[in-house]
Amino acid sequence: MRHLIYAASTLASGLGTMLGAAVLVFVALRFVPGGYADMLLGPFVTPAAREAIEKRYGLDQPVAAQFLHWLAAIAHGDFGVSMVTQKPVLDEFLRRAPVTLELAILALIMALLVGLPLGVVAGVAPANAKRSVAAARLVGAFGLSVPDFVLGTVLILVFSMWSLWLKVGGFVPFGEDPVLNLRTVLLPSAALALFGAALILRTTRDAVLRVMTEPFITAAVARGESPAIIVRRHVLRNAAIPVVTVITTYFGFLLGGAVVVEVLFSVPGIGLYTYNGLGNRDYAIVQTGVLLAACVFVAVNMLADMLYVLIDPRLAR
Amino acid sequence: MIKGPKVFGAIALGALLAANATLAADRTLVWGKPAEITGFDVHVAGTITSWEMYEMVYETLLTTDENLKLQPGLAESWEQTSPTSYTFKLRPDAKFSNGRPVTSQDVAGTFARIKDPKTASYWSAQLGDIAKVETPDDHTVKVELKAPHPAFLAALSHITAAVIPIKELNEGTFDPTKDLMGSGPFAVAGHKQDESWTLSRNPYYRGNLPVAEKIETPIIPDSSARMAALRDGRIDFSAFDNPDIAQALAKTPNVAVLPQKTTNYYRIDVNALNPKSPFHDKRVRQAMNLALDRDAIASLVFDGTTSVDYPVPAAFGKNACKSTPTYAWSRDKRLEKAKALLKEAGNPNPKVTLMATSIDPIYPMIAQVAQQSLAEAGFQVQIETPSLPDYLKKVFTDGDFDFALSFLAGYTDPSMVIGWWNPNFAIWNTSFQEDVPALDKVLDEIKAMPDGSERDGKLDEACKLIDDGANLVALVNVVGYVAYRTDRVKVKIAPRSGSSNTYRYIAEFVPLH
Amino acid sequence: MIAPRPFRFFADLWRRDRLTALGVATLLILLLLGVLGPYLPIGDATRLAVGPRLSPPSWRFPFGTDELGRSFLPRVVIGIRSTFLLSAAAVTMTASLGTLIGMVAGYYRGLADEVVARSADVLFSFPALLAGLLIAAAVGPGRITAISVIAIVALPLFVRIVRSVTLALTGRGFIVAAEVAGASTLRILGVHILPNIAGAVVVQFTYALSIGMIIESALSFLGLGVQPPDASLGSLLRQASVYLTFAPWLALTSGVVLSLAIMSVNLVGDAVRDALEPLNRRALT
Repeated sequence: MRHLIYAASTLASGLGTMLGAAVLVFVALRFVPGGYADMLLGPFVTPAAREAIEKRYGLDQPVAAQFLHWLAAIAHGDFGVSMVTQKPVLDEFLRRAPVTLELAILALIMALLVGLPLGVVAGVAPANAKRSVAAARLVGAFGLSVPDFVLGTVLILVFSMWSLWLKVGGFVPFGEDPVLNLRTVLLPSAALALFGAALILRTTRDAVLRVMTEPFITAAVARGESPAIIVRRHVLRNAAIPVVTVITTYFGFLLGGAVVVEVLFSVPGIGLYTYNGLGNRDYAIVQTGVLLAACVFVAVNMLADMLYVLIDPRLAR
Repeated sequence: MIKGPKVFGAIALGALLAANATLAADRTLVWGKPAEITGFDVHVAGTITSWEMYEMVYETLLTTDENLKLQPGLAESWEQTSPTSYTFKLRPDAKFSNGRPVTSQDVAGTFARIKDPKTASYWSAQLGDIAKVETPDDHTVKVELKAPHPAFLAALSHITAAVIPIKELNEGTFDPTKDLMGSGPFAVAGHKQDESWTLSRNPYYRGNLPVAEKIETPIIPDSSARMAALRDGRIDFSAFDNPDIAQALAKTPNVAVLPQKTTNYYRIDVNALNPKSPFHDKRVRQAMNLALDRDAIASLVFDGTTSVDYPVPAAFGKNACKSTPTYAWSRDKRLEKAKALLKEAGNPNPKVTLMATSIDPIYPMIAQVAQQSLAEAGFQVQIETPSLPDYLKKVFTDGDFDFALSFLAGYTDPSMVIGWWNPNFAIWNTSFQEDVPALDKVLDEIKAMPDGSERDGKLDEACKLIDDGANLVALVNVVGYVAYRTDRVKVKIAPRSGSSNTYRYIAEFVPLH
Repeated sequence: MIAPRPFRFFADLWRRDRLTALGVATLLILLLLGVLGPYLPIGDATRLAVGPRLSPPSWRFPFGTDELGRSFLPRVVIGIRSTFLLSAAAVTMTASLGTLIGMVAGYYRGLADEVVARSADVLFSFPALLAGLLIAAAVGPGRITAISVIAIVALPLFVRIVRSVTLALTGRGFIVAAEVAGASTLRILGVHILPNIAGAVVVQFTYALSIGMIIESALSFLGLGVQPPDASLGSLLRQASVYLTFAPWLALTSGVVLSLAIMSVNLVGDAVRDALEPLNRRALT
């Protein structure tokens, strides 16, 4: 019963967050100057043409009514059509979701491969091993400081000046040619991974450092357990919670907000689609994009909650 | 988890399409397109990025060659039987991509659709007042205008006057707001929004054309990415407007660059109608026009690859406008006059905001050169770089601006472009253009005159009035560059284009792999 | 001869912690450049055609020239100025506002707290850059836009941390004692709670500053920040990326300086955090 109430309240607050995001994006979009009529007709827009287009998409109604219509349509699975193509935006989001997902997973894997081991090493290193600690700190500070678009620009420069195996742009779906696909998505993933690696490294190091000062580690050392076992059995398990938090937050960021990198590398994911939708004032695309991002945020938070329980069953109570 | 299967369905479908793609890989061209279209309706969209896609799929009754002379298109011949009557003979072999021949009913229906206010086509005014359209047989169209309109034929050569399959439209099997289907060399075989188009050969196109079976069209907005794609052979050809990029590409092995002159030019729209703007005072506008350093724009922004342009585009080879103070005087003399005008207006240091949309980096660059040259006359210019729709609404609907950078499509006849100085005809600039009855009268006369020395004299007269109003100001010529892989495609590019139809000869492009 | 105090401080720092010392030095140099930039004899940042277009670095133009023949070094310097100034202004404002909201919510609890916590969640769930793009689209590009975007992204950071620390404090004896003694709410918030959350706010400040700089430069990179001829490090990189393959020095210098600026803030922030919140007392995320 308690679990149920807990689940229900989590769900309710998640829905509340999504509703808040929906209201925000809907209202904000109506404040954005210029509309699709301007994009379509360019300088040749006339009041009559603008009216016709606004009427076609129900934009002549009061904002509150538009919003309720939109919510009602979503409840029936209708997320609206793109004004440019007149086709449902949901289909386009579903077509693009695997691309963003692939980018996110690859970036996460890279970030974990670099961040976790370095973080653990920096955390358990003896206090006098100044060099390794400083190196980890430098990598951490570097990763948090080089924005993804700076790294992306440098990667584009290097890989377009010399033909090295990896490619700049020209995305190919995984199902079409897995190798070519990897050659095109590794660079944008790497641009995204640096920040994640640094984030994971720093959190892991801090968590491990703190666990290392706990009495039970001293006790384990006193019992004569081997360092490898101490690290695996005590340190990692107890340091996992903050690390899981940061990993899930980072993953949520990747799924919802990799706009700049997708734009930079022309990766046809949902970030680029939403970005272009905003440029065209194609409302349905932007609204769905933001709603999707909020949904991912809520889902990722729930996932984190579940992982905590898995790691430490005591938290379930 | 209801969405799961759909996602995987999409992946599987992608694989299927890919299998087809590899089968027809021979005789394929790859065109790197800089931007997605803004809408599907060929009679409505007023953007070049849309036009260049329409030109692959649709055809017009007439076309123009590199000398901007009319050439047959869907009409194999035409005849003007009186100042207001025209007869067109359609090619008997023209067919839409579904195999149905193009008939006179399609042409008549197209005219009706463009003129229909519900379509909201901006080309309606350019066609003039059509009194009636007759279709005596399947291949003859007779048009009767209410008044003489010599630019009628030139207006028909613009892609916005494309002939669409009216029968299918009426039957409900073709919706021009959602699909593209015409009698042009290619038909749409696939489209992924913002990502790519796949065009396949229209099998019913005349002769043995087009040579290519297919055109893959990835959309690559970033110019560096498009350069890289040309270099590594991922695309075969693409167009650029930045001369630095063209020069850098020309040094790349296997890449050649062809410049294409146009009748288009970069321009400044000056707001004469907003009482809050200093430019409400004609003297301030004139001072601005005089103080602009067009040579500096040509040399700094375009590295000297373009030249100063005039209200009547230089590409038409007319001398009109060259004798006005703006162009004939030395810069020192112009600056002196500009300062005097500002003083006379009681506003020696006008504070003005120059809008330069961020859609193309070229605009902010021009704006900065303009800012510096205007400062020498005492102007305090602020630059604003709004997004494209924001800029369009502020300038062309709200009239809420001081002056703004843009570019002007010169089309194929001086009388078409010069009509823009009459806001009653142009409509789009009623938000900022002052209506000068004397100028309107001259422009109307020009429109009814055939090309010749008499018309040239009238053009001169118009230029003086245009220069006096300083309301819509020409800067420098737009030069386009087509870069292509010499080892992959044999291109045919007209050295000059009048209607932004860069790829007019796309049907004759030969894939080499 | 005794070295002046700042130098002694720095020498000490260098001996104890080189990385932090480097961070402090870089930050100081960049700040000085940003503040003194317009008065330094390095050339005019906006004067066009002082040299050939797109020329590589030389003695006369240490960072080369840009696409309009401007010397690129002074442009980078005004870029530093905008990037630092805008982010610092935005984060300072946000820190004050966020602290106030967080304290009030944490102190009063109940409905006000619930509303604040939920709103912070909504703001948090909004992808930062999308929020930025929306605001920029609505307000139009410029300084104000950059500042408001940074403020909106950073606000929940402060509200959340201040609220949780205040929540933990309100039950504590010295607060209860003050309440019993009849101290006004303003006094309790200002005298008793504020000093106890100051450390957390300062730590959060450096973190928010580095995020603010990343956001400002990302917005400018997408063309939504300061307007030309003014420049920020992000807008310089945007323009430079057009010339990436044939004038790479433009992108490299602006990119490297931008990264260094953010890195110096991060390194200094780390040191501040280590000093104010020793590891064993730190709340881990």
